[in-house]
Amino acid sequence: MGKTTYKRYKGSQSFRQRLLLSTLSSTPIIMDEIRADDMIPGLLRHEMSLLRLFETVSDDCVVEVNETGTRLKYKPGIIMGGKNLVHSCALTRSMGYYLEPMLLLGLFGKKPLSIRLKGVTDDHKDLSVDTICNATLHILKRFGVPSEGLDLKIEARGVAPEGGGEVLLTVPNVQNLTAVQWVEEGMVKKIRGWTFSARVSSDFEHSMRFAARGIFNNLLPDVHIFNDHKSGPAAGKSPGYGISLVAETTAGCYISADTAVSCGRAEETGELDVERQERKPAEDTGVEIASWLLQEIEKGGVVDSTHQGLLFILCALCQQDVSKVRVGPLSPYGVETLRNLKEFLGVTFSFRPDPSTGTVILTCVGSGLINLSRKLS
Amino acid sequence: MADDLMSSQKSHRTRKSGPTMRKKTEIDKKKRGVVDNKQQNPKAFSVRSAVKAKRLKIRAVEKEQRRIHLPTIDRTYGEPPPFVVVVQGPPGVGKSLVIKSLVKHFTHQNVPEVRGPITIVQGKKKRIQFVECPNDINGMIDCAKVADLAILLIDGSYGFEMETFEFLNIMQVHGFPKVMGVLTHLDKFKDVKKLRKTKQRLKHRFWTEIYSGAKLFYLSGLIHGKYSQREVLNLSRFISVIKFHPLSWRTAHPYVLADRLEDVTPPEKVQMDKKCDRNITLYGYLRGCNLKKGMKVHIAGVGDYSLAGVTALPDPCPLPSAAKKKGLRDREKLFYAPMSGIGDLLYDKDAVYININDHLVQYSKTEDENGEPANKGRGKDVGEDLVKSLQNTKYSVDEKLEKTFINLFGKKTIASSERKLEEDAELSPEGSDTESEDSQSGDDVDDHDMDVDSNGGKIKHKTELHGGRLRRKAIFKDEDSDKDNDDEEAEDAESDGNEDEDGEDDSVYDSQESDEDDVEESEDKVLGNISKWKEPLKEKGRKKNPNLMQIVYGAPASSATALINQNHENSDDEEDFFKPKGEHSKNLGGGSDAGHVNSEDCSKFVNYGNLKNWKEKEVCEDIRNRFTTGDWSKAALRNKNSVAGGEGDDDELYGDFEDLETGEKHNDDENMDSGTNEDVEDAERRLKKLALRAKFDAQSNKTELEDDDNDNGDEINPRNSEAKEPGFVDKLKEELELRKQMNLLELNDLDEDTRIEIEGFRTGTYLRLEIHNVPYEMVDFFDPCHPVLIGGIGFGEDSAGYMQARLKKHRWHKKVLKTRDPIIVSIGWRRYQTIPVYAIEDRNGRHRMLKYTPEHMHCLAMFWGPLVPPNTGFVAFQNLSSNQTGFRITATSVVLEYNHQTHISKKIKLVGHPCKIKKNTAFIKDMFTSDLEIARFEGSSVRTVSGIRGQVKKAGKNMLDNNAQEGIARCTFEDQIKMSDIVFLRAWTNVEVPQFYNPLTTALQPRDKTWTGMKTFRELRSEHNIPIPVNKDSLYKPIERKIKKFNPLVIPKKLQAELPFASKPKNKPARKRPSLDDRRAVVMEPDERKAHAVVQHYKLMNKVKMTKKKAKEQEKRKAYEAEKAKKEVISKKRNREERRERYRTEDKQKKKMRRGQD
Repeated sequence: MGKTTYKRYKGSQSFRQRLLLSTLSSTPIIMDEIRADDMIPGLLRHEMSLLRLFETVSDDCVVEVNETGTRLKYKPGIIMGGKNLVHSCALTRSMGYYLEPMLLLGLFGKKPLSIRLKGVTDDHKDLSVDTICNATLHILKRFGVPSEGLDLKIEARGVAPEGGGEVLLTVPNVQNLTAVQWVEEGMVKKIRGWTFSARVSSDFEHSMRFAARGIFNNLLPDVHIFNDHKSGPAAGKSPGYGISLVAETTAGCYISADTAVSCGRAEETGELDVERQERKPAEDTGVEIASWLLQEIEKGGVVDSTHQGLLFILCALCQQDVSKVRVGPLSPYGVETLRNLKEFLGVTFSFRPDPSTGTVILTCVGSGLINLSRKLS
Repeated sequence: MADDLMSSQKSHRTRKSGPTMRKKTEIDKKKRGVVDNKQQNPKAFSVRSAVKAKRLKIRAVEKEQRRIHLPTIDRTYGEPPPFVVVVQGPPGVGKSLVIKSLVKHFTHQNVPEVRGPITIVQGKKKRIQFVECPNDINGMIDCAKVADLAILLIDGSYGFEMETFEFLNIMQVHGFPKVMGVLTHLDKFKDVKKLRKTKQRLKHRFWTEIYSGAKLFYLSGLIHGKYSQREVLNLSRFISVIKFHPLSWRTAHPYVLADRLEDVTPPEKVQMDKKCDRNITLYGYLRGCNLKKGMKVHIAGVGDYSLAGVTALPDPCPLPSAAKKKGLRDREKLFYAPMSGIGDLLYDKDAVYININDHLVQYSKTEDENGEPANKGRGKDVGEDLVKSLQNTKYSVDEKLEKTFINLFGKKTIASSERKLEEDAELSPEGSDTESEDSQSGDDVDDHDMDVDSNGGKIKHKTELHGGRLRRKAIFKDEDSDKDNDDEEAEDAESDGNEDEDGEDDSVYDSQESDEDDVEESEDKVLGNISKWKEPLKEKGRKKNPNLMQIVYGAPASSATALINQNHENSDDEEDFFKPKGEHSKNLGGGSDAGHVNSEDCSKFVNYGNLKNWKEKEVCEDIRNRFTTGDWSKAALRNKNSVAGGEGDDDELYGDFEDLETGEKHNDDENMDSGTNEDVEDAERRLKKLALRAKFDAQSNKTELEDDDNDNGDEINPRNSEAKEPGFVDKLKEELELRKQMNLLELNDLDEDTRIEIEGFRTGTYLRLEIHNVPYEMVDFFDPCHPVLIGGIGFGEDSAGYMQARLKKHRWHKKVLKTRDPIIVSIGWRRYQTIPVYAIEDRNGRHRMLKYTPEHMHCLAMFWGPLVPPNTGFVAFQNLSSNQTGFRITATSVVLEYNHQTHISKKIKLVGHPCKIKKNTAFIKDMFTSDLEIARFEGSSVRTVSGIRGQVKKAGKNMLDNNAQEGIARCTFEDQIKMSDIVFLRAWTNVEVPQFYNPLTTALQPRDKTWTGMKTFRELRSEHNIPIPVNKDSLYKPIERKIKKFNPLVIPKKLQAELPFASKPKNKPARKRPSLDDRRAVVMEPDERKAHAVVQHYKLMNKVKMTKKKAKEQEKRKAYEAEKAKKEVISKKRNREERRERYRTEDKQKKKMRRGQD
């Protein structure tokens, strides 16, 4: 025990999860050859920013990055949580990237977490903050997280490339999570949506709403899409607009789809701008996201494909009871999560495919992780 | 006639009064359930005051609530492991005899020697493992950590000894298991009354220590060196009815109490270097919670290790089959004590060892093998020759045996077999040597096997005895059966692999049991209990299809390629959901391997390309039923179908399962038909039913207990029981029970391998734990009498950090504890030495360091060590040696939290002197050493001894001359201070807790040696004869004040001039001669002279008068004294005579009386 043994990995694959699980299970890790052969080697800005975020939230953690950034040594500390924390995220990824691990990390802290994140709120790559507010937090509540103190407040919007958004995340502490039996999907009873526009005309929102509603009209009358037009400092520094749709089912499942449109930030990543396409009209974005939501509903499962990873981690962190969840076809992120869970927490899932619906039922026994850092009163 | 008859039949007249009537009404009431609570003296219990009644009721309710514990979920499914019964007591109290008697009682077997745990089958559903607690404190700690029931033996003739109380205290901090006291040596009392009194006294002392009413059992004495059968029977009954409750630490951590240890290091390695690190296997029942494969473990007294291999072995001491019958049959009364030298068969993962008693082994043969020495040593006898020639035929059998194996495994070349033979020859004398060593030293390690690793294939040699004949059996096994390897094999073999493996296993096991000489004969099966443990083996060879699990968890690279292949080959819709889409897309995108490793971390997986056109109605219709606007019944069907469909479709997952209780094996074929009709609701209902039943069982048990309580006099108010509606606790209980049943249902659905993969090995399985690179001392100094405890380590418990604990010095420990004196703590599974810093929390939340622990109060202790979760108790020692007189436990404590840093502070007083004073500002030196330090203290308050307050401003460097030294601070005071003043700055400084902990490696040294770690200052000083350092300044000395010398008053001339003459100092020169005033004579006037003379005369007369009076008084006193003395003499004389007279008469009277009596 005198010498710490590190888990070794190659590359920056599933960087967030490895950091998260390493912190939760307090296993030190080493990542080697991070983008060693790339044009821009080493850790990217958002990855460094995430490391800094982990450092602010936890105490006594050791992060060592070599000169080129291709090697990372991470020794987790104790998750402290705390109030009035501020972190400005790198603008290369949006807030969803940081919030996903932060939600879980905050649960197992010494004190309730309340952190203000600054940066890009919405993005097409990551979960938008609206989705996290309206879908992800509901998933957490399923696992016995108290609803008071679990909140995400959007104080200012900000889109790529300049950002300028601000959110306030509060996460309560838990002693442990309770296992779930969550196989019933239910039927979609209502669809809610949130659009936003920052530094652009609210016409974009209207056209997105109109287009999205047009898709749902065939299926469900209970569709409501709220708009949120920001101006001034609350609108951030760059122009953009976006939409997030959440379908709620009768069984209390939340299925979401979202995106945001803004100017690209190709020059920052330095990559060839593959992403720079001619921008679609706003109606098309609305249609696309609405269709994507329907696609997610069609795939089935109690969560959408984006939330699979989170769901699996939550199941694995539960008490040593059997959790049973139904998801649609496994997403690559979900599969990666499952592998990571096995390595870090030793939790293996068993799979029962359900061919009639095209879903998979996953069963696991939780790792029985308890919040060790909480003080005995 | 008939009428007459009718009339003659009188109707029955029931009694209206009398005892019969009373009895009958009583019975009637009981039948109707009418409770008649008529009291003897109802007035005495009636309510007089409403306030009092209310208070009483509140108290009763509170009492009731205090009894309730938060229900905990019991996650132990299946057969429970044997309960550990630790027998503890001071040396020479009869521990082993109690175990022997109990074992004899339960199994009718004699145990020659109690070494290591002894497992016995006690009842149809209960097994017990007896462990004798060794007499040193390390063993006691380990025993206390595993005990489910502790039997404390107390020497009745001697009374309680410290060991008992120490053990009790250790148990209390590690979760209090059940405790039972047993008094022995009661036959030493000759006086019956004294015996009764002693029993009474000891019982009450025992009760104060545990709880009043704790069971104290009496063993009255020995008969033929055994305890009397009747008493042992009673004791066994008490043991068997004890109910065990789960302890929080143990239900959260898996642990194994090893009942066997084997050294499996390759012998070549040991030969090369005797002190090389060893590989060992440990065997024992898994307890606590499930053990997963990758888990790290702590071996008590050795250290932390990761498990190199875990295998579930068939239970060596299984419970009898659940046939409906009363009691146990004799052959079911199994017992298992591999280290005690009984139970001749030992089962390993891939071999069976037979233990041969030394006196049964004929060494003549081995001598023969050695060749020359035997021939030289003894003259040959004809009979002996004959026997040896008979023995020699064995070789042919061996050869035959080998040939058969060659036939079986085509790979084995002749060369390798030859080599093996050579090795045999080399090794066999060695083997005999070790055996003889065994016999000499009485060592317990009873394996006579040799493992030889020859190019991957493992060969095992075993010596065994058949009818007084020594035989060596060789067993071949390709590799240590790796799980994956097995799987591969199974997959290769597909259909007949199953049977093949079975056959092999059978041959391995049966050949050991069969009495026939023929080794090849392996089809024979021995029925009975022994055959039972083989059954699970058959299931092992189940075939496996590649499923989603393998796709996800299989080796990532291989699975990826497999997936890609699949994609290219058949992109059917059916297979579609089997593959993670990411791989697919990545592959299409042409991502290289490196790209895959560094792939972007993104939870979203969006592919807008293949979106359907949801505007079309037909497309929408597909998912119409997923919306509330669709068909609700069809939507409900979706959920139903998914459960049922899965069952019918995938027999792998819903496959066969074995009913553990009946041993019946259910096949999926039967299941298929019935299973398809099942509903989710049905399942739910069934679950609830099960839960309800379990709950009912629990409750009925509880009510029984409560009844017992009632009988004991612990009254429960009838009103309370009325109020017992399904409250919060009951609901909670129900919920937990439901969860448990759900878990069971889910887990039982899985097949064995997947289940182990998912939940780990269940508690109660007999495990073989392989651990690599253990120090050789563990094997060398292994003592079976000491328990070997292997405890699992949870997440984060293998890293070290600071822990804060609430600690209290034990009230029986004589001295208070000193900060930074190393203590040995037993915490979690571990024992280690650490350096604590004691502290106490001040009112403002500051943790102030304490030099010593308070005498009778809790304090905080901060120390560094491997982390444990908060709320874990621990016990501290200062010295572990057994020859201490006092109480060895120094403190008990509980961990509050852990942290990465400590916030303990202590007072510090910085002292400085002014070096320059300018009005209210002073420059203080000696207080700080550098300007940086001053910057740190800017604004803090200072004070002089005389009480003038001030503040530190800044470093005074630039204010003074430029060449002023560093560390001079400018301070301002409320008044001007003096150069002679001393300035104090009072502050707090952080105290560092040393990052030190030293695991106790007691298993790596002879057990009778006391472990020594870091010594305390006191010990070091006394060892090296170093006096305690004394700070001279801190000593108390008598205060010596110099007499202040004042300088003469100097009045300025200007002032002098203004003073009035009288106040002016007069500078008169000193005179040589006395002044005129002094010298002048005084002459009286005649009147004056007369008056003076008269006064003088009077004075003289008075003086003479007084002297005369005095003389007279003295004379008088003298006379009086003389008179008094004379009188005294006379009275004394008289008194004496009087007394003499009185005594004489008294004596006479007494004599008379005595005579009268006679």
